[in-house]
Amino acid sequence: MSAATASAAVRAPAARPRTARWLLRLHRPALVVWTALVILGAALLLWLAGPLTDAAAEGWRQYNACKWSEKCPYAQDAILRYKDVYNYLTLSLAALPFLVAAWAGAALTGRELESGTARLAWTQGITPVRWLVTRLALPAAAVAAGTSLLVFLHHRAWSAADGRVDTAKNWYDFWTFHTNGPTTVALALAALAAGALTGLALGRALPALAVSVVLTAGVWGLAQWLMPHLWPAVTRVTSLEHGYAAPYSGVDVAKGLAIRGGGHIPEPECYAATTEGCARIFRERGAVGWFHAYHPASHYWPLQLTTSAFLLALAALFTLAAFRVLRRLSGSLRAGKGATA
Amino acid sequence: MSDTALGATGLGKRFGRRGGWALRDCGFRLPAGRVCAVVGPNGAGKSTLLALAAGLLPPTEGRLTVLGTTPAAARARVGYVAQDKPLYPQLTVAETLRMGADLNPERWDAETAGRIVAAGPLDPKARIRSLSGGQRTRVALALALGKRPELLLLDEPMADLDPLARHELMGTLMAEAAQHGTTIVMSSHVVAELEDSCDHLLLVGDGRVRLAGEIDDLLAAHLRVSGPAEKAGLDAHTVVEDRVTGRQRTALIRPAGPLGDDWRAAEPTLEELVLAHLRNPQAPALTTAPAATEESAA
Repeated sequence: MSAATASAAVRAPAARPRTARWLLRLHRPALVVWTALVILGAALLLWLAGPLTDAAAEGWRQYNACKWSEKCPYAQDAILRYKDVYNYLTLSLAALPFLVAAWAGAALTGRELESGTARLAWTQGITPVRWLVTRLALPAAAVAAGTSLLVFLHHRAWSAADGRVDTAKNWYDFWTFHTNGPTTVALALAALAAGALTGLALGRALPALAVSVVLTAGVWGLAQWLMPHLWPAVTRVTSLEHGYAAPYSGVDVAKGLAIRGGGHIPEPECYAATTEGCARIFRERGAVGWFHAYHPASHYWPLQLTTSAFLLALAALFTLAAFRVLRRLSGSLRAGKGATA
Repeated sequence: MSDTALGATGLGKRFGRRGGWALRDCGFRLPAGRVCAVVGPNGAGKSTLLALAAGLLPPTEGRLTVLGTTPAAARARVGYVAQDKPLYPQLTVAETLRMGADLNPERWDAETAGRIVAAGPLDPKARIRSLSGGQRTRVALALALGKRPELLLLDEPMADLDPLARHELMGTLMAEAAQHGTTIVMSSHVVAELEDSCDHLLLVGDGRVRLAGEIDDLLAAHLRVSGPAEKAGLDAHTVVEDRVTGRQRTALIRPAGPLGDDWRAAEPTLEELVLAHLRNPQAPALTTAPAATEESAA
C-alpha cells in the first residue's frame, strides 16, 4: 500500500461527503447578494417603521389640525416620502420570490445541467438524490430565513403607521396583504422548487430562468385568485335602505342583491337620484336587501395560513416532480443495494 | 469483487419516445483489469455507452452490470470524464481538487491528483475558466484518478491534448492501471491513438457493437488476403470486406478453414480491421469474449 492510501485512512473520520460546503462555495456570489439584499431591506424597513412613520404621522396631525383652513403649514414632504418608501419596499418584497425563481432555475440546476457539471457532481462520491437534497435544503433555509425576517419587519412597519398615517394601506390591500405575512415566504419557497424543477426539466439556464419566473407568476396568480375562497367568508344581508354591510373593510368575496326565495343577483344599474329611489326600484324587482360576503380583519391569519399552506403544497409538488425528473435523467437516484438482481 | 468490469446484455438506449436509438442490442463483456478502447465513428453511440456505464443515464432496454452491480450502485467506485470535460469554471485548480477530496472522503488520493496537475505544470491558484482545453483535460483526469476508481471511463480523453501531454498522461494512466489493477475504458475515433495502450477493443458502429474482445484475439480471427481479381473461393469464409482494384483483389475475412494456396494472407493491422468493419456495416458482428450471461445466472 502506498503512502497515499495511508493518508486516506487518516482522514477516515470525515467519511461523509461535504456537499454543503461546496454548494456554498459554488454559489457564494448568490449568497452574498441575498444577504446584502436582506440586510438592506431590513434597514430600510426599520427606517420606515421609525423615523419615516413618525414624521408622516406628525404631518397628518398637523394637516388634520388645520380643519380645512386656507393657509396650513404641514410636512407634506414627510407624508409623500413615507408613501413612496412604503410602496417601493412593498413591491420589492413582493418581487423577491421572482428573483429566487430566476436564480434557482438558471444557476442552481439549469446551468449545471447545461454545462455538464451536474454529471461531474454525480460521478463524485455523492448520489444525485443527495446532490438535489442539498441544493434544495440549504437555499430553502436561506430563502425562508431572509423572507421571514423581511415580512416580519414589513408587518411591523405597517402596524406602526396603522391609524396614525391617513394614507397608510389597509390590511387587505393587494400588495400589503401578502408582504405582511407568511404567504410571501411560502411563495418564495414555491419559487425555489419551481426553479429547481424547470432547471432540471429544461436542462438549459436561460430558458429555465424565463420559464421559472413565468411559472412563479402563475402560482402567485393562482394563489391570489384562490385566497378569498380558502376560508369561509362572512355573509351579511342588510336592508335596501342601509347599503352594504361592511364596505371597504376587508377582502370582498361577493356583493349584490338578495332576492326573495334566498337567491343572489349582481347589483343592477340604478339611475334613480336617491338611495330610497333605488331601493324602491330594486324592491319592485324582488330584492329584499343587500348581501355582502367578505373577510373581515379577523380573517387575516386564517387567510394568510391557508394561502401559505396552499403555496407550500405546490412547493412540495414541484419538489416531488424535480426528483422524478432527476430519476429520469440519471437512471437511479440512490446507490441501490440490489446488485445484479 | 467481480472479474467482470462491464457486462451488457441486450443493452439499448433511445433518447425521447420518438427519437432514434443511440445504442441498440449491445452485448459484450469486459473483464476487469483491461484497458479497453471504445472505437467508432462520430455519433456511433460511444458517449452514450460510457454515460450508461457511469450510471448517468438509464438504459431504455437490456441490462448493464458495472463491477458486478448496477451502474448506480457502482458510481462511487467509477471515475468518469465526459467528452467536454465539465468543471466548475469559478473554482481554482486547487479548489477543484479539494472538492474532489471532500466529495470522495473515503477514496481520495491527494498525491496522485496533485502529481497529475503539477506535471502540467498548472498553477494551483489558476481559475478553471482561465485554462486551455488541454489543461482542463488534465484537471478533469486528476479529479477522476484522485478518486482511485476501480473502473475509469474516459470519453475522448486525449482529444484536446498536445502530443507531449498525450504521451505523458497516457503513461500516467497505464501506470495507474498497472499499479492498482484499474480497468480503463476510453473512447476515441482515432484508432492509432489507442493501439499501443489498449488490450481490449469494443468497436461501436451505428449504435451496435460490431467487434468486442481482446485485440490479439480479434486480429488473430481475421486475415487480410490478396490475389488475382478473377479469383473466387472465399465463399466458405466470412467476408468482411472484398475489394477489387485493377487486377488485384483484396479482402478481409474471418477464415473458417484453410485457404487456397494462391492467396497471399497476412494478419491485418488494428486500423485495417476497424476500417473494414466500419465501411461494411452488413458484416456480422464478432464477440470473442463470452457475453456476461453466467454472471446473471449467479
